[in-house]
Amino acid sequence: MHRILLSLLLLPLLGSAADQAVTEEDPWLQLEKAAEAAHKLNYKGVFVLQTGRTVNSFHIMHTNFGTAEFAHVVMLDGAPREVLRNGNDVVIYQPKSEKVMIEKRHAQSSFPAILPAASSMLKANYQIKQTGQERVGGRDGLNIQLDPRDKLRYGYYFCVDRQSGLLLKSVTVNEKNEVVEQIAFSQLGLVNNPDMEWFHPNVDREKVYVMQPEEKVAPAGDDDDDWVIGPLPAGFRKVEHMHRHVHGKDAAVSHLVFSDGLASVSLFIEPLDKNKPPRQGNFVQGATNVFANTVDGRQIIVVGEVPEATVRQVAAAVSFKK
Amino acid sequence: MKEQISALMDGELDVDNSQHLFTALKSDTQLDESWATYHLIGDAMRGNCCMRADFSKRLMQQLANEPTVLAPRSNLFKQPPSFVWSAGSAVAAVAFVGWMVWSQQHMQTPEQAMAPVIAQNNVSPEIMNSYLLAHQEYSSGGDMQNASYVRQVAFTGNGN
Repeated sequence: MHRILLSLLLLPLLGSAADQAVTEEDPWLQLEKAAEAAHKLNYKGVFVLQTGRTVNSFHIMHTNFGTAEFAHVVMLDGAPREVLRNGNDVVIYQPKSEKVMIEKRHAQSSFPAILPAASSMLKANYQIKQTGQERVGGRDGLNIQLDPRDKLRYGYYFCVDRQSGLLLKSVTVNEKNEVVEQIAFSQLGLVNNPDMEWFHPNVDREKVYVMQPEEKVAPAGDDDDDWVIGPLPAGFRKVEHMHRHVHGKDAAVSHLVFSDGLASVSLFIEPLDKNKPPRQGNFVQGATNVFANTVDGRQIIVVGEVPEATVRQVAAAVSFKK
Repeated sequence: MKEQISALMDGELDVDNSQHLFTALKSDTQLDESWATYHLIGDAMRGNCCMRADFSKRLMQQLANEPTVLAPRSNLFKQPPSFVWSAGSAVAAVAFVGWMVWSQQHMQTPEQAMAPVIAQNNVSPEIMNSYLLAHQEYSSGGDMQNASYVRQVAFTGNGN
């Protein structure tokens, strides 16, 4: 009798072990699936972003009709900021007193579409492993851990939905394994037969809608720069180089982006503005570290989702031709 | 009236690229007063007129010829023939006011009044906001996509 009871008790455990065996595949592949699912599936839900001490929740609706991808994200705390995305075109609405500022941006993704391709660069800089199961936002998920191979980047815990493959949760940790940033669904559902009725901003008829001036951005070559980039932090390489023409600034701002396959660092170089104090110092906001310095009459600013030592190293890599 | 909006939008919008706007316009019964807003949204999604390099020049020319219309007005709908022109000028005027406010805000920052001195640590999320936004925007390029407008929106909100 006891044996029968025992085996009855064990049955569910055996069942879940079998499930795990079925879903136990290359974790890199699971990350890729999650990256793909975030763009391809139709879903809606609420997710929470914790950045340092700040917590914000957002509602998201996402659809893909095969030819076009649409997303609407509304911030649920504070002023009702919202974002509409159609493919790579992003429009952001931010209420400011009597106005709503409309800002246009390009080629951005958003949670849960934040995972990179499993590039050789990514694999060279991070180790991956599966670390069990977790229930997130009412759904069963599988945990995947990305451990950095050195202290120049953060570690990540991801949880992906067992059923759909969608990313349910992303946690960024520093070298002491302290959480510096996390974002997770508190509620998520897949949508069948979606329509487009929801794809419009929640217009406030009391307010005036104002388009913000757009920064002009042009790709830049390396030839005409009077600075050179020395050795970068290990594992990082340049993925973007452009000139930003910012409203109110005479000279273009050079903007370079470095990546290690997952984390990214921006380097800004511009002439010092005589009318403004030079910026020097640093701060951290969640996973984002910022470092500012001046060299030879130039302002250098480095921003990235990396530890402080990494942004400092990037800043130190810049030198000017005499 | 709604047919006129639809007709206008039909002519004005590239429906393939802005079907969502079209759908929204047709589905909402109370949109009349917000047509200018939607026009702006359409412009934003398509990246046309307001975004062009000679935007402010054309704006000034239009303003010189037009009375100042600062906000969407529902009675503009009662004059269909002038609709397109009014739409343009209202959008231009609204955007111009925004540009003025924006410029003034940036001209009157206390930092500008100060003599350039180097402080020990004079950076903050507020001061670095534009760099944070620029980073969020372009860090999604290349072969990775770790950027997030969610973070950007949250940052902007916290920074103001």
